[in-house]
Amino acid sequence: MSFFGFDTSLPRDRGHPATAPGFAQATDHFAGLSKADDDDDDGIDFEDTYDGLGDKLDEKDDAFNDETFGAPEETIGKDFDFHGATARVADAMEEEHEVFNRSARNQSVARVAAAPTQPARVEPPTHVPTLRPDMSLWGSGPATTPQPEPQPEPTPVVQPPVGRRILSLEEVEAQILANNEQRHQSPFQQPPAQTHQLPPQHQHVPPMVTPQLHQYPPQQHDLHQLQSQQFPAHIQSMLQRNQTPPQVQHRQIPEQHPGGVPLQQQQRMQPMGQPLHPSRNQYGMTNHVPAPQLQKMTEAEKARFLEEESKRLKRNHKIAQLARYNGLMTPADKNFITRIQLQHLVSINNAEDNANEDFYYIVHSAIRARTNPQQPLNQFAQTYLFRQGARGRNRQQDNHLQRMEQQVQRAVAAAKARPKASQLVLEGSLGKISFSNVKTPRPMLNIKKSDTPGGEPIRRTQRSTFSSADRKSLLRAIENVYDALLELEVHERERAKLPILMQDQQPQPAHVEWAARRDQLVAKLWKETKIMEPINPTSTATHPFIAILSYSKMKRAVQRIFRHLDPEQRVTVLTMIVVHLDILDVVKHGVYLPDETQLPSAVREEIEMFAASVLPPLLGYVYEAPLSIVVGLLGILLDRVDVVAVSKTKIGLAFLTMFSSRAEIVKQAGGAPESELQQWQVMYDKLFDSLQGHWMECFPPGMFVDDVYVWQFLASIAVGANNAQQQALVSAVKDRVMENVRASKTLPPELGAQKNANVNLFMRAIGLDVELLG
Amino acid sequence: MLFFSFFKTLVDHEVTVELKNDLSIRGTLKSVDQFLNIKLDDIMVLEEAKYPHLAAVRNVFIRGSVVRYVHLPSGAVDTALLEDATRREASNAAAAKGR
Repeated sequence: MSFFGFDTSLPRDRGHPATAPGFAQATDHFAGLSKADDDDDDGIDFEDTYDGLGDKLDEKDDAFNDETFGAPEETIGKDFDFHGATARVADAMEEEHEVFNRSARNQSVARVAAAPTQPARVEPPTHVPTLRPDMSLWGSGPATTPQPEPQPEPTPVVQPPVGRRILSLEEVEAQILANNEQRHQSPFQQPPAQTHQLPPQHQHVPPMVTPQLHQYPPQQHDLHQLQSQQFPAHIQSMLQRNQTPPQVQHRQIPEQHPGGVPLQQQQRMQPMGQPLHPSRNQYGMTNHVPAPQLQKMTEAEKARFLEEESKRLKRNHKIAQLARYNGLMTPADKNFITRIQLQHLVSINNAEDNANEDFYYIVHSAIRARTNPQQPLNQFAQTYLFRQGARGRNRQQDNHLQRMEQQVQRAVAAAKARPKASQLVLEGSLGKISFSNVKTPRPMLNIKKSDTPGGEPIRRTQRSTFSSADRKSLLRAIENVYDALLELEVHERERAKLPILMQDQQPQPAHVEWAARRDQLVAKLWKETKIMEPINPTSTATHPFIAILSYSKMKRAVQRIFRHLDPEQRVTVLTMIVVHLDILDVVKHGVYLPDETQLPSAVREEIEMFAASVLPPLLGYVYEAPLSIVVGLLGILLDRVDVVAVSKTKIGLAFLTMFSSRAEIVKQAGGAPESELQQWQVMYDKLFDSLQGHWMECFPPGMFVDDVYVWQFLASIAVGANNAQQQALVSAVKDRVMENVRASKTLPPELGAQKNANVNLFMRAIGLDVELLG
Repeated sequence: MLFFSFFKTLVDHEVTVELKNDLSIRGTLKSVDQFLNIKLDDIMVLEEAKYPHLAAVRNVFIRGSVVRYVHLPSGAVDTALLEDATRREASNAAAAKGR
């Protein structure tokens, strides 16, 4: 369009604005950054466009050009008379121009006339018509002419929308036609009228500035602007007429005040109004600040403007820094991460799942918390969600946090509500689709077992007695005990969740329910121990309870089981063990073979385990039991069990010690019925008689072994013995006592003292002391 | 989740992580996630002479899949509880299968 080949078109005239919001954008949001500083991006550099073909011309054979083309007859002068030649057609050209201008103007005037309420349009001065190429001719953009120019009149530009009616296409056409006819009748009437309507301030503005003023509207990027750029001028004017008042008003503000202030307003408005592409638009703005605008400002305004500008630049720079990695993650990636995080939150917040999935951590920290009250109990949960109380500087932040929390909670609830299928089998597909989740990051091995598990498990359940119990089914039985036990323990922990009852308060339904469930679980546990299996004296098979008690796993469980049992069940356990004392593994294997000085390590371990896990609860029970029970138990023991064999073992002696010492304590405390005391005496005598002659067999072989339990047993027997029994006892173990005293002198002082103290247990019981032996 | 649950209790304890490339790193366990990725602080490589380039490294993040062993501080492990937790895990798996 320009004579010199410059692109004189205004930015908004360059076809469709690529930066307008709402249109698909290239992802490079900061492409404008590099362009920001060069001001002459409107022009085209020669270097950029020159293809270099001229350099390739072959000019060495120019010598005979004259012969070929004929020599010039006269040298060409420099007094070209282009103007003279042009002047010959000047009149015609002028005429054409005028006609063109008139027809174009008629069109726009007709448009204005079609809407009588529209303020009169301001026409540029007619004496410089050639400087204002009418862009509507090219169909690429709107003509500037139809745009409503700023109005100096204080009268409101905008008419109340109620007074306006939307014209149909037919009506508009009819009006345009009618006005066209009118114009043709008086072709030169309109332009002067328009000129006199020009506001005074605009008359001083040189026409070249006008395009600059028109530069601002495109930066607003409002819908109207887009429409105006895309449609031919006459449609655009129609659109303008139908526009809503606020938009029109808004558009006029910057045009009425061409200074820097409205420009800043626009710039400030843009980040707020278009948060989607803040940086791009802001970068776009910077190079549109025209130098003339800056010059027109006052010093204060300029300073303010520059300050704002630098602030904005700084902010943009920051955003650009942050945005460097924009777009690295695809939406699918983000979804994936979000899903994992949500799943994590679900598993953290899922209280009932927690007890299952996070059992070790929860119980471990509970135990630690019990030993160390300062330890925060649920630090993991605190880390994630429950920290909003700690900080919150202002309400807005709180609101954000709360909203986020609510969202998380909703998401968690939704995730929980979803059916928990771990696999999906689509119809017609060859395989299964496994969903990984936070608990199983990778699909687990999906080993298909044969659907017919064989008769083996069924047989196991059917077989009520472990007549030919194999190791596997015994271990399974122990695991069942543990499962029941764990279930019961979890249930016990839930007691803390129940409301606390006052002393005289009636239990609430929740308590009743809890107690019922507890009883149910205890019954299940009791059943799993298999202790109520009938004792068959004629059967050679071990009773199932005794059989599973031979495993250390079960020994460890006894203490925990005992806690949940009532006294009756406890005495049942005790009785069961006493009845089978001689076939108890720790007793059966606890007997030293003739040439053995030490038991096998596995047996020793079992004995230690039994002493540490099974004996304490039993002792605890017996030490509170009435004499009648002790008498009864000892009676059963003497009846059914080979006492001599039992007395050769540590555990056997422990039971005997348990009974005799308890009876002695009851006897000395007094208060026991005479009949029971007599029964006890009978039992005691019977025990003494059966062990008579076997006292020395109680001791483990070897001199330097731990024999304190034997001395304890002897002491407990000696306390209740009469004189004759004491005599017999002393004479039986006298050698051992002397050996011990001698050995204690050869041992290091501490060990010797220990050995003496052991012997002394017995010596004191019969009223003597090791010291007396010298 | 058992191992995740277990390792969470070892946070702030000193552990030695043996990697599949034979590198052994001792350090304070700072955090662990469900993939058993491990974050160690104040680390020390056991064969420092062999891996001089790690002498200056103070903390590491170890991807769970490259861990061969984790040497545990035995004092911090509750074996009985671990057994119970294992039982829970097994019963959970059985329940999940039955569902």
